[in-house]
Amino acid sequence: MEVTLLIEAMDSSFRLLEDAKNQAVDIMNSAVRLTSETRIIEEKKLANIFKGAQSRRAVLQNVMATFVILFGFWVVLSGKFDLFHLTLGFICSLVISMLTHNLLFANVRVGDIKLTIIRFVRYLPWLIYQIFVSNFYVAYLVLSPKMPINPQIIRFKTKLESDISWVVLANSITLTPGTITMDIKDGEFYVHALAKKVADDLNAGEMEDRVAHIFMEADHIYVQDVLDVSPIFGVLRKGI
Amino acid sequence: MIRKTDDIIIRTVARILVPFIQIYALYVIMHGHYSPGGGFQGGVILGASIILLLITHGLVETTKKISERAIAIFSSIGVFIYAGIGVLCLLLYGNFLDYSKLSVILNVTPAEARSMGILGVEIGVSFTVMAIMISIFISISTTEDHSKYDKEHY
Repeated sequence: MEVTLLIEAMDSSFRLLEDAKNQAVDIMNSAVRLTSETRIIEEKKLANIFKGAQSRRAVLQNVMATFVILFGFWVVLSGKFDLFHLTLGFICSLVISMLTHNLLFANVRVGDIKLTIIRFVRYLPWLIYQIFVSNFYVAYLVLSPKMPINPQIIRFKTKLESDISWVVLANSITLTPGTITMDIKDGEFYVHALAKKVADDLNAGEMEDRVAHIFMEADHIYVQDVLDVSPIFGVLRKGI
Repeated sequence: MIRKTDDIIIRTVARILVPFIQIYALYVIMHGHYSPGGGFQGGVILGASIILLLITHGLVETTKKISERAIAIFSSIGVFIYAGIGVLCLLLYGNFLDYSKLSVILNVTPAEARSMGILGVEIGVSFTVMAIMISIFISISTTEDHSKYDKEHY
């Protein structure tokens, strides 16, 4: 009798212990799940900061900038300022800027478009001055009786990074009399120069420096990158 | 066979020019009823902008923007708009494409209704012309097997 009582008591105590153990395991499991869930959420937040929100902002910015430029172009072409034609222009530029937002401003960093356009406009007077100066030099070369030309093809590796800055540099070189860009292959420019002085001017690299300044490349600081990193840094510091 | 050009200058300049060509095409279409131009000319310019993209960026990248299915749909939508406006005039007791009868629907004077009706017809014409231009170009330039091309490039 006593033995059976004892066995029952032991049994029930074992059952209690097992229940307690199960409960503890459950609590531990849920705690682990919670921490992993919060970690996934934090990781998602970080990933969003890194790419999702950024790309959405970039698309919006591209559409806005393209729309403004195209609407200005429309007004210049149309020359009619009544409501009907302006509405048509609004709709047309909106549709085209939605369709081609990644063509006009491909791979421009968020927030950089305005500064880039301002710097590009400031670059133009310098370019026109250069064209003016080298016009006179080429005229001197052609008109002098000895004709001291020394045609040569020079090849140089550029420090610029994106396609648009390569194209701006290449077209600036071609616009300047005496030099013509023949080809760009893997960041190497092949330029035909008419005389030694022209080639030396090109090798000095002032034009390249100014183009790098427009597009904020090479050793020119990316202000926007610093601003982009700051919210990520805030999240990381909170986690620590 | 259309593929991406290796020349980075041509590719980038084409990419920058395409939106301007397209807005110019829409300008030609929308101002067709009192200046030179109109649906056909605007449609051809619009098609040419897409063909420029095809030549410089290749078939695969361009069909991401406007698929061949969408081109086929566009070509029928244009005809539908044209014929729809004509039949609408018939239903309003006028002749086929007699735009002045549209003044009842648009709630404007018959002269303005004529102007609007011509604009609608020109939009239809430009859709069809654009789509047909692109589809002719694609059909001529991809006479070989498509699936093999897709496997080689992407």
